[in-house]
Amino acid sequence: MPLVLLLFLIVELTVLDRLRVFGAGPDIMLLLAVVAGIVGGPRVGALLGFAAGIVLDLFLETPMGLSALVFCLVGYAVGSIQGGVLRAAWWIPIVTTFVASVAGVLFYAMVATVVGQPHLVTTHLFVVATVVGIFNALVAPFALRLVRWSIAGPERAYV
Amino acid sequence: MAVYRRSTRHRFLLILLVLTSITVITVDVRGGGGGAMESIRRGARDAFAPVQSTADDVINPVSDFFGGLFRYGHLKSENARLRRQLADARGTVNASTNAERERQELLALQKLSFAGDIPAVAARVVATSPSNFQLTVEIDRGLPAGIQKGMPVVTGAGLVGKVVAVSQERATILLLTDPSFNVGIRLSASGDVGVARGNGTREPLPVDLVDVGTKVTGGEVVVSSGLQGSAFPPGIPIGKVRSAKVPPASLQQEVTIDPLVDLSRLDFVKVLIWTPKETTP
Repeated sequence: MPLVLLLFLIVELTVLDRLRVFGAGPDIMLLLAVVAGIVGGPRVGALLGFAAGIVLDLFLETPMGLSALVFCLVGYAVGSIQGGVLRAAWWIPIVTTFVASVAGVLFYAMVATVVGQPHLVTTHLFVVATVVGIFNALVAPFALRLVRWSIAGPERAYV
Repeated sequence: MAVYRRSTRHRFLLILLVLTSITVITVDVRGGGGGAMESIRRGARDAFAPVQSTADDVINPVSDFFGGLFRYGHLKSENARLRRQLADARGTVNASTNAERERQELLALQKLSFAGDIPAVAARVVATSPSNFQLTVEIDRGLPAGIQKGMPVVTGAGLVGKVVAVSQERATILLLTDPSFNVGIRLSASGDVGVARGNGTREPLPVDLVDVGTKVTGGEVVVSSGLQGSAFPPGIPIGKVRSAKVPPASLQQEVTIDPLVDLSRLDFVKVLIWTPKETTP
């Protein structure tokens, strides 16, 4: 699991910072939180979301712990909702990822505003949320497989 | 019952994590610049620096290849255009040698200090921001090179931004288009001052506090004002006026400027070893 986290971090910081669509880039650390929620339920979602957020925070200028707070709540929420949904349809995780990613970005901006980082809530925010949502939804199937594989052992009891 | 038990335990974990996050946020925000969080971040960035360099070495050729593939026609026409420009520039250089000598004399005469006498550290841009909400770049020089928080960063064309974080091997630069960026400016023709602020990627910078009576012309160069206590030394070129108009019944003009530096293609930058002077006469 820490390996997957590290892999996502490296990809986020080295490859994805070049990728910009309408001035917005993908956010796969948020994706990791969402996918962990889908695969492992609320407990894994919250834990992994927190871990993903805190390592990302190390490389940002926004207050430390901000992403951790947002991502852990997103992971938990996705995990709780996913518990009541059948996993039969292949598109359900993709749609879930899209909705959760958009919500996560908007929530992040809201919390940032509360802790004294204005300038985030602008019209550009919606562009960012949409781009992050679409990208994360596209990558979701691969991330799902990866995360499911990595937590298959110890967490089988919960899945 | 079992289901109920499990969900309360989940909730307990969630509350624990949320409280931890909030504590960390509070410590960081209240701790200002020199807290424990700062040193943790520095450590993480230094540890990550070699990974990033290696990844860049692997990725750059690949992305250059694809970039070249998709933009072949563009590169060809750009090459032709650059050749023409180079020829023009050679001519201009010959003609401007004399003008340059005169300018140097005038500068010495007026004791205007543009970057000339400020020591500078050259650095390479190694990464852009991983976040959608901050416009920053990372450079490959840090504390050992004498870089400190708050130092201005320029290229040959003009202002790029300022240093907001430094570690041993990296420094983070806030670009002047970031919405939290402010800089005191002076219009080069009229000498009137104002404050320019960032407005997001590829957006022009709005300028506040320009007097209604001031005559502002399009394309006019705007430089940093360097007024007392300013975060930048005077005379660094910042941008060109894009538009200026006086809205009815307003106390200030609506002026916007375009940055002189192409911020989407930064490669080498210079950090001016300059911090605002605390002592004022």
